[in-house]
Amino acid sequence: MKSLPSVKSALSAAAVLLALGACAPGSSSSDEPAADANAAVQTGVPSGPVELNLIATPESGAAMKDIIPAFKAKHPNVKINYVDTTYDDYNKSLNLALSSDTSPDIVLLNAVGTTVKDQLILNLQPYAKAYGWETAYPAGQLNQWRVAKDGTTLGSGDLYAAPASFSQVGLYYNKAKLKKLGIAAAPASLEDLEAALAKAKAGGETPLQLGNKEGHASFPIQLIGQSTDGPAAYAKWVFGEGGATFDTAGNAKGAQSITDWGTKGYYSKDANGIDLQGAVDKFTKGDGVFFVDGSWDSKKIGDALRGDAGFVAFPGPKATAIGTSVAYGISRKSKNAQAAAAFLDFLRGPEAAKASFAQGFLPSDTSTVTAEPGTISADLIAAWNKVNADDGLIGFNNNATATMNDTLVAETQKLIAGKVDPATFIRAVQSDWAKTHG
Amino acid sequence: MADSLANRVAVRDRTVVAPATPVRARRSRARLVPLLYTAPALLFYAAFVIAPWLHSLWISFWDWNGIGVATWAGLDNYREILADPALRLSLVHAFGLILFYSVIPICFGLVLAALVANVPWKGMPFVRTVIFLPQILPLVAVGSVWKLFFDDDGPFNALLRAVGLSDLTRAWLGDFTWAYPAVGVVGTWVSTGLCFLLLYSGIGKIDPALYEAARLDGAGAIHEFWHVTMPGLRREMSVAATVTVIAALASFDVVYVMTAGGPGESTLVPGVAIYRLTFTAGQVGTACALAVVLSLLTCAVMFALNRLTREKT
Repeated sequence: MKSLPSVKSALSAAAVLLALGACAPGSSSSDEPAADANAAVQTGVPSGPVELNLIATPESGAAMKDIIPAFKAKHPNVKINYVDTTYDDYNKSLNLALSSDTSPDIVLLNAVGTTVKDQLILNLQPYAKAYGWETAYPAGQLNQWRVAKDGTTLGSGDLYAAPASFSQVGLYYNKAKLKKLGIAAAPASLEDLEAALAKAKAGGETPLQLGNKEGHASFPIQLIGQSTDGPAAYAKWVFGEGGATFDTAGNAKGAQSITDWGTKGYYSKDANGIDLQGAVDKFTKGDGVFFVDGSWDSKKIGDALRGDAGFVAFPGPKATAIGTSVAYGISRKSKNAQAAAAFLDFLRGPEAAKASFAQGFLPSDTSTVTAEPGTISADLIAAWNKVNADDGLIGFNNNATATMNDTLVAETQKLIAGKVDPATFIRAVQSDWAKTHG
Repeated sequence: MADSLANRVAVRDRTVVAPATPVRARRSRARLVPLLYTAPALLFYAAFVIAPWLHSLWISFWDWNGIGVATWAGLDNYREILADPALRLSLVHAFGLILFYSVIPICFGLVLAALVANVPWKGMPFVRTVIFLPQILPLVAVGSVWKLFFDDDGPFNALLRAVGLSDLTRAWLGDFTWAYPAVGVVGTWVSTGLCFLLLYSGIGKIDPALYEAARLDGAGAIHEFWHVTMPGLRREMSVAATVTVIAALASFDVVYVMTAGGPGESTLVPGVAIYRLTFTAGQVGTACALAVVLSLLTCAVMFALNRLTREKT
């Protein structure tokens, strides 16, 4: 019983602490209204010294080391500090950075997430009007960054980020291997692709390079899905529009194809243990005739395979691609929103376009960049123009909810290991979606 | 010690303080004095262990994404943990890791310590250092190295191919059957050194007379081990079990680095689930509820372990 006083005092101390903390966690709801979409704003850079802080990830922000000096040359009074953090850490810390007292001014947005709902980023609609962004970009390229009044439904409403450049996921192929297998051209339809995969298997090649440790089997599933269902219908689910479902003919076909390709040995049985960069390395070393991946790896693949590297939009009745823009938003805590907006406007200019394209990202207007014929860069531009002509650019399924990436990683791993059938896979994905948008 | 100190202080109080002071007040003051000595430690413990834990407990009753406005959720977060098969599975996985983090290392450690204690080696300090080395490495580095080891192009598969077992090769960490034992083996590798060292030092403290007596009674090496060494190491085994069981239940680094919980949910542990719920899903309330459940389960296991290994007097 000698310990009784200490227990007592510990308990009373605990009670005091509990009482102190006995209020709802988090800040109370902000009373200030969301920035008015019709607010009057000024264009151009204010006079006098301005310092802006910009944060991004190393991949998406790679072009910044060329873009920032170009902007500085035009506006010597604006100093921009650039900091990058790896993709995973960036996404996990972004909201905290935006809500802190030392919030950066300009931030890379990989997804809208809860940044609009929690009033962390600025409504850019007034700047979009003032700078004429809505006529400068095709509607499809801005829609991913439009957020409805509820703060979660995408695709319509006010604009919250400005795209700098774009990525697209399509089909890489090894030209030398196609030639060796006697396949005349890159496949133009899903049937062509399946015939080519079968031919490659018979020829002793790895038909499809696939790394699914990080869930990248969801790329071919989505590409087959959206080219089967049609881009306009498919985009509704990605945008989280009420009533949409993952249970479509296209997704069923996509999930079934991936399962069948596995059974036929079209990709490695170890796919679940290979990450994306591991798959890229294998593909560049000649392991794999085809490879589904994004343009962000085009530089690496082009440098390694040289003239043998080819890229086309995923074959289907309409040219579609999974893609998103490298887009930047402005923190609501920024004191230099006007200068920040001027920088966002600079991102669609020719200097920024060239710098981005050098890193494998496509500009909205491809006429500002050139590529040597026969190179992977030329293939990227051709595929990009084709996809835009068909209005076939659709955001990543992984961004449909905050947890969708984790769900797709786990569920595609189960699917290709034969632990679940396509129908169960589709149900699991839809149930994640329904928690947020249902 | 504190008790005798209290008495001494009390005695001094009685002689110095004016007799007008009521006896009750004097007695309670006397009781408080020893408490004062523990105050700094108690304060730190309250501020950095108890308060954060209570804060987590408090948050676990809210629906909160970590930034925005929280709404009262009552027990909903706890219901969600029970209803979510993946989260329940993560708890099962944590308990399964006790086999790899505690049971096997203590067995290894016992055998190693008994062998080494009987044979005085010149190279002993070197052997001790090597066996203990995994303990001092950062777990993230340990995880990264083992991840490379189990890679589809890694040394483990190369080894299998070299001995003609290429049919067995696979991407171990991407395999639904093998990823969990592969992650567990790392726990064994890390914990064995600690268990060995604890038990080895324990053997040194056992009275040699006991061994002599056993030998006189005609006991062999194995009998000695069972009837002298094992009972003599009760305390050390209890310490080893406590430390390693906590490490198993709270595992995060190694699993996060090696598999991040995959493939599917086959290596998901509560640590990884809590991290994901907080930073990816923005469900801080659910994450805290899982943390509370895990800490209560850990306390329960510790209680049982203490009862089990307590010395009978």
